[in-house]
Amino acid sequence: MYLFDMKNGKKKLVYGQSPEDALEILSYRLPPEEMEQIIKDKYIKIHQRQLQEHVHLLG
Amino acid sequence: MFNLFRPKKSGDGPRRLWLDLGDLGDLVNPAGPHEQWQDHGLGLLRTLLHQNGLTTDLASTRACKSWDEVRKVVSGYDMLIMNVRSYTFPVAYRSAKIFKEVNPKGLVLTGGMHATVAIDEMMAIPEFDKICQGPGEEVIVDLVRDPDSFPRMILGRGSKSMADWPMIDRTLWPKPASRQLARKFKWPLEPECGWGPGPVVTLLTSRVCPWQCVFCNENSYIPNMGRRPVEMVIDELNYLDRKYGVGSLVIHDSMFFQNPTWLQEWLEKYPRQANKVWPYWAAARADTVRQWPELFEALVKETRWDTVSIGFESGSDRVLKILNKECTEEDNYFTIDLMTRIGDEMEREGRKPPVFWSNIMLGIPGETRDDAFKTMRMVKYTKRIMPSIAFYAPYPGSALGHQLIAEGRSLMSKENYHRYPDDEKVKGIDYKFYRELLAGKFDAEVSKGLAQVRQERQNYMGALTKA
Repeated sequence: MYLFDMKNGKKKLVYGQSPEDALEILSYRLPPEEMEQIIKDKYIKIHQRQLQEHVHLLG
Repeated sequence: MFNLFRPKKSGDGPRRLWLDLGDLGDLVNPAGPHEQWQDHGLGLLRTLLHQNGLTTDLASTRACKSWDEVRKVVSGYDMLIMNVRSYTFPVAYRSAKIFKEVNPKGLVLTGGMHATVAIDEMMAIPEFDKICQGPGEEVIVDLVRDPDSFPRMILGRGSKSMADWPMIDRTLWPKPASRQLARKFKWPLEPECGWGPGPVVTLLTSRVCPWQCVFCNENSYIPNMGRRPVEMVIDELNYLDRKYGVGSLVIHDSMFFQNPTWLQEWLEKYPRQANKVWPYWAAARADTVRQWPELFEALVKETRWDTVSIGFESGSDRVLKILNKECTEEDNYFTIDLMTRIGDEMEREGRKPPVFWSNIMLGIPGETRDDAFKTMRMVKYTKRIMPSIAFYAPYPGSALGHQLIAEGRSLMSKENYHRYPDDEKVKGIDYKFYRELLAGKFDAEVSKGLAQVRQERQNYMGALTKA
């Protein structure tokens, strides 16, 4: 799982084989204007067990 | 005056009440069979408490027909204990409020899956005095004996293996609350629900599905634990059969068809050591079936795995990726074809063919109409199927649920966790389309291409070589 930084200071949780794959999967459900909010080269990889530590940052 | 609603007093010392949770009336005049199923968390933890001399009285919101009745039931107690799931959170919340109104000095102890996945929501309820997050079997006795020695939020501890769990004392489960229901229920076993003859034994052989589907994420919260040994499971079934007479089993594991070593042992011992080879319902995944097809076939044929529950979820690769299901359309169709072949063979031999209990999700954010048509086409393609179709729900605790809640897209609330399959759960989803789809309005689009799918899948064994 990946946590991407967003322009509004929040984080977006995405998942896939790679950051690129994860963003493509996210684009299946988000419109282009919302995808543009994501800073595509600023992310961290997290394990699903760490998810709870980051929930308050999601947006 | 004799209080009709107050359960029998358990003895000296603090009066403790365990409140079983569910919709009002579900044990009186239930809408369906699944509402009558019993809570294994309650069964395990009450068994542990009673074995350690900490008796609890039992009441159930499911046995009450009104909140006024609940008020009478909880009156006069020093302690209320509840196992809270996401879909019972609104009931737990309201019950705790009522308990505090009638027992201002009483203490409310909570735990369960909702405490584990949504601790903030639990902490926001002032009536919950103690909240146990995570598995409770290693802390429940100390907590109930001396709650004041614990902080408000308690980190639970689970057993290393299910071999350490005692056999649940099923007589500690709530009874059916009407004469009409009691006739069908066969308490303390459970009623028939259409999957196999009654009386039904629901049981767990494993806990936690290790996959990372984003609508569930159970594995992020519950540490893995050893599976219950095969012989222990069979011994318990034989004991229940001698005492009550078993008709069929529902193996409630999130994922039964994992760990081939355990399954191989089940395949060898269950048909030989059980009093009878009872038919059962249990869950698998399409990718594990494709991985171990021979083991799957042997289990279906030799152990009477008559109802195979598979979370197909969708017939579209795009949506399966949105759900991080790690299964493909091809995995799904492979599994369907294999079951069809097994079923046809068994039918030719004069045996009852197995059926799918097929979990299907619609209304997933990002799903297109074509994706939904593919899903319904897959359902239509399946020869022997009991489809269980629900609209996707963004439960807190799941990865996609957390993200959609943060985006403000969830329609779920504290007061209503939308446990019903056709409730609207996510903003922006065209539920009118889905209702029309389920009503058959788009049958032509669904059927379009079905003949081609059938033609293409004449030789499904080709897919096995790619697995």
